Amino acid sequence: MYCRPFYLFLLTSFLVASLAQGGDTAESPPDFETEIVPLLINRCLECHQEQNTSGSLSLVTRQELLKGGDSGSALDLKSPLESFLLQRVHAGEMPPEKQGQPQKLSAREIKLLERWVAAKAPWPPGRKIDLFERTTEVRAGRDWWSLQPIQRPAIPKLNRLQQPTNPIDAFILARLEQKQITPAPLADKRTRLRRLHYDLTGLPPTLAQIEQFEKDASPQAWEKVIDELLDSPQYGERWARYWLDLVRYADTSGYERDQEKPFAWKYRDWVVAALNSDLPYNRFITEQLAGDELPDRDKRTVIATGFLRLGTWNDEPNDPQDYQYDRLEDLVHTTSSAFLAMTVKCARCHSHKFDPITQEDYYRMASAFWAGPIAARDRKLLGGPKPDELGFPDVLGWTDVHAPPAPLHVLKNGEREHPLHAVTPTTLSMIPELESPFAPQPKGARTSHRRLQLARWITDPNHPLTARVFVNRLWLHHFGEGIVRSPNNFGFMADPPTHPDLLDWLAAEFKSGGWTIKRMHKLILTSQTWQQSSVHPRSAEYRGLDAGNRLWWRAERQRLDAEALRDSMLATSGELDLRRGGPGFRPTISAAALEGLSTKSAAWQASPPEEQNRRSLYTYTKRGLLPPMMTTFDLCSSTQSCGKRDITTVPTQSLAMLNNQFVHSRSETLARKILDAQSEPQAQVQKLWERVYARSPSDEELKLSLQHLIVQSQHFQRDRQQQSARQENALPRQAASDSKPEAATQMTPQELALASLCHVLLNSNEFLYID
Amino acid sequence: MTNHHSFPCGRSRREFVWEMGAGFAGLALTSLLSNDGFFTRHAAAEESQRALNPTAAKKPQLKPRVKSCIFLMMNGAPSQVDTFDYKPELEKYAGKQLPADKKFTNSGGRKMGYLTPAWRTFRPGGESGLLVSDYFPKVRDHADKLCVLNSCHTDSHAHGSALVAMNTGKTLIGRPSLGSWCVYGLGTANESLPGYVVMLDKRGGPISGQPNWSSGFMPATYAGTLFRPVGDPILDLKGPGHITQPAQREQLDLLAKINQRHLDERPGGQELAARINSYELAYRMQTATPDAVDLTQETAQTLKMYGVGEKPTDEYGRNCLIARRLVERGVRFIQLYSGGGHLEETWDAHESIEKNHGRHAAEVDQPIAALLTDLAQRGMLDETLIVWGGEFGRMPFSEGKDAPGRNHNPYGFSMWLAGGGVKGGTNYGQTDEFGFEAVQNKVHLHDLHATILQMMGLDHERLTYFHQGRDESLTDVGGRVIHDILV
Repeated sequence: MYCRPFYLFLLTSFLVASLAQGGDTAESPPDFETEIVPLLINRCLECHQEQNTSGSLSLVTRQELLKGGDSGSALDLKSPLESFLLQRVHAGEMPPEKQGQPQKLSAREIKLLERWVAAKAPWPPGRKIDLFERTTEVRAGRDWWSLQPIQRPAIPKLNRLQQPTNPIDAFILARLEQKQITPAPLADKRTRLRRLHYDLTGLPPTLAQIEQFEKDASPQAWEKVIDELLDSPQYGERWARYWLDLVRYADTSGYERDQEKPFAWKYRDWVVAALNSDLPYNRFITEQLAGDELPDRDKRTVIATGFLRLGTWNDEPNDPQDYQYDRLEDLVHTTSSAFLAMTVKCARCHSHKFDPITQEDYYRMASAFWAGPIAARDRKLLGGPKPDELGFPDVLGWTDVHAPPAPLHVLKNGEREHPLHAVTPTTLSMIPELESPFAPQPKGARTSHRRLQLARWITDPNHPLTARVFVNRLWLHHFGEGIVRSPNNFGFMADPPTHPDLLDWLAAEFKSGGWTIKRMHKLILTSQTWQQSSVHPRSAEYRGLDAGNRLWWRAERQRLDAEALRDSMLATSGELDLRRGGPGFRPTISAAALEGLSTKSAAWQASPPEEQNRRSLYTYTKRGLLPPMMTTFDLCSSTQSCGKRDITTVPTQSLAMLNNQFVHSRSETLARKILDAQSEPQAQVQKLWERVYARSPSDEELKLSLQHLIVQSQHFQRDRQQQSARQENALPRQAASDSKPEAATQMTPQELALASLCHVLLNSNEFLYID
Repeated sequence: MTNHHSFPCGRSRREFVWEMGAGFAGLALTSLLSNDGFFTRHAAAEESQRALNPTAAKKPQLKPRVKSCIFLMMNGAPSQVDTFDYKPELEKYAGKQLPADKKFTNSGGRKMGYLTPAWRTFRPGGESGLLVSDYFPKVRDHADKLCVLNSCHTDSHAHGSALVAMNTGKTLIGRPSLGSWCVYGLGTANESLPGYVVMLDKRGGPISGQPNWSSGFMPATYAGTLFRPVGDPILDLKGPGHITQPAQREQLDLLAKINQRHLDERPGGQELAARINSYELAYRMQTATPDAVDLTQETAQTLKMYGVGEKPTDEYGRNCLIARRLVERGVRFIQLYSGGGHLEETWDAHESIEKNHGRHAAEVDQPIAALLTDLAQRGMLDETLIVWGGEFGRMPFSEGKDAPGRNHNPYGFSMWLAGGGVKGGTNYGQTDEFGFEAVQNKVHLHDLHATILQMMGLDHERLTYFHQGRDESLTDVGGRVIHDILV
């Protein structure tokens, strides 16, 4: 159904292999492992195995085949060709039609089955087929690419192009070379520096920074600025935001009351600090999952367990008993999405439809959280442990509260009323090499140590997913698209990797480098691939060859995301408040926006003005009230893990930029600042261009700008006169109702004209896009 | 995959159409093909992209029966056996359990109850005598306009995924919604308004939220635009007082010049061109949008007919009336949600059909009837398709002894169509004697989608969007047009 080159490759190689083996001896029985097993898994086992025995028939062992189902034995050993199995297949009844589409076996498949059955269905003794052992047309098996060990691939040798020093470029260029595509030239220094600043800090460079970099002709200039920015505290603030999206960060609980989760912001600050101090990624994972279970546990590692507290929490669930299982699902889903890019939660009621994740696996992972405060307790605890259980009164953290916990039962169809057996707490079965039960709770331990063991499994150097998934996220945020373009899904429904070898090389490099993230940033940022221009002289031609730029023959132009846009406006007007950490601020939200919400304005008290200009990272995130300006620019919902935000271009964004008071206030502030320093219109325009674009205006731009100042001054002058004429004639009461507290009313027409020009620049594509 | 292999030389259908079109009717096809980046693969001139307007009106693939579609989304899933699917046998079987051979998923693991007849009486309406229950007495007056599909079935028993499926064809989020496909295929007839408008219930958005009106893998310009039910329909429609219209026009003219210079240096920057275009749209929306929702332009009689200003019809009445005004203005696809948030705030009548449906039907019955009357009176019903329904139906049995609610049922439920080109006063398809599962002339949601597209003038098999190596379509490999219900 889906065209997946990688999968097709697997399928083709299988077909070639089986044809080669089956072709020469037409009458000998087919090979069981290479011909019959794939056929059974592909076409029969989905409905005839232990988890799903349609017609009471299972086909995983020969005994069961012989036993048959409701309609008797599927196989007639006396006259094999009369077997019920073949009858149903010949009649086209098996496999049954799907969504009105017949699924009849092909002539080749039928022939194979006939030969096999004719030979009395030879089956190696003791062999049991497992639906998940291999990939089929409709699902991934344990042989799925992302579950295979990470082997460090050889760095490709180029034929035509010069061998680059950075291995990343070798992987990229090798593919371009095959397609006879030449990559874009290096972007100019100004473009690269602006791109770098946004990439690492989410803030624009100043004109002085650009000029300094342009002047620095030393070979180390590029590495020097990378190091400086990686060392700046703004780096952690930028990259923390991506992580907060992944872990569904918010400051409140959601649902009707949407209570504050006190000290959630400490988790946010912990992420920023972890990134800034380059905490190795394996330790980063472990502290979040089990910071309370570590031998060197301290307040900081317990704050990290806030990861497990960030989900929505309903103080009044429909059924508190059922709600425990919903909370488990949230924990399983966030953990498996963020660290493994696997949708384990889909196996809550039945085995996963697309990936080799059994229902048992779901409960195995859930068992790691079962000893925590999952069950309904005092509402004041907001679904978390008591302060004395946690050991810290001023931390939003997680710990086990009844360890060792009662057995967790697998639930038939996910229904609480239908418990099956108790699950053995174990790692997941999709990686057999790493599958092992969790050790029992150590003597004298206060917690079950299951989360710690889950973290050890996830961070095992041989885990095939952890490093791949993380380097893919790095690539995504550096380039705008991942190597796997579905960053939270590495399963069957995933987009296959554009550069599988590069992904593996990066993953291997990440692990061998001690899981340090900054080193990977630098590796990527020093590649030619990252530094190339977003404009290519042959783009019209190349778009025909690779429309989605999946081969990276040029850089992708990127629009500022909601946070970078807001922060940039504040930085440009000189108002950005770089104070770091601490409780979030509540932004001003227009009355109109509050009116449309069920909570109305009573539920929102904006922070005082002196708090309003902090970086967007420090916005207090109330689940029921995300700031409209931010959601308009694709801020993601904080309900579930988000690996990649939408990037949309819609007229409502233009309306926000044109009309929202926040944008106007920035324009007015900047205009006043420039007017304080410059009295000549030409100098004002020059200064404005430098502040907003970090460059000088062209002659044409200068001319257009000066014209704009004249025309707008006249507009505002005329309006002002008309207004005062009206006010003189009006009754005092009406004049009062027309009063506006905004700063704009105190500005002269000339000031407003410059603010208008500034407003135009803040709305421009040059301001919003990073080349 | 199939698409690629069924055309000569391994070309996609789209490329094939292009080659043909270039020789015969190049121009119309150019606009048909221009939106998914295909055009740029063949047009050497970068210039042409500048004029590229992704929502310009396009020639329909088929002769359209209607120009616009209003989808009345009963979020939470109304019960078919209590509304439009009369099952007298339920009286007979009342208190018994559904026969054991009827297999189903017990969504959410609710208590299993007993077959329960309709909570309100069914009566014939119009000349056709089509049966409608007393939950919809006013809609019943329009029975001769309704074509009730009694045999609908869908792919999920959970609200979130079923609603996403009803809107996008698949239970997994991330695909373009029906409205997006319509705007992609037809463009908009009024550039000053969004082509696709969604109005939510003020109790809240639907479960799964935005993916229900998302454009999925298509450009966001095809996504639904939310009109807020209260206050300005769209936020930030007005700027500070001193920026008068001429002053803003001056700003926009300068902005266009600056942006154009920027684009000239970045050939092929489609996202830049789209953003330039979005400012002109935004500018026009500033006047067109308030005008479209300005109900003071309506007569007192009209407002009264829709129940505006009266409880409990005010909200849905306003939305229905706004929908008519949007249709008048050329908006292609309008979706009006009844029910928002969770559980009883929607049609999700687990606790009590009578309490839940009594409340929600009372909110929408009169407004929907008024919409049908109003459109017909203005001669617009022939050009408009009305779709009514939820994401699935409800079980014919209760949730336990003496429990008056019903659980989710994706196996059989009812929806209805009215307006241009559908056979009014008819029922299509049947559920079994219990109203449990569709058994005759089954209508999968893909069939419904195929039929809606057909009526809009779009062929669900040919309306494709090339995405990651595949010609994607709303109905994927399934879907058939239900020709029997079309005049």
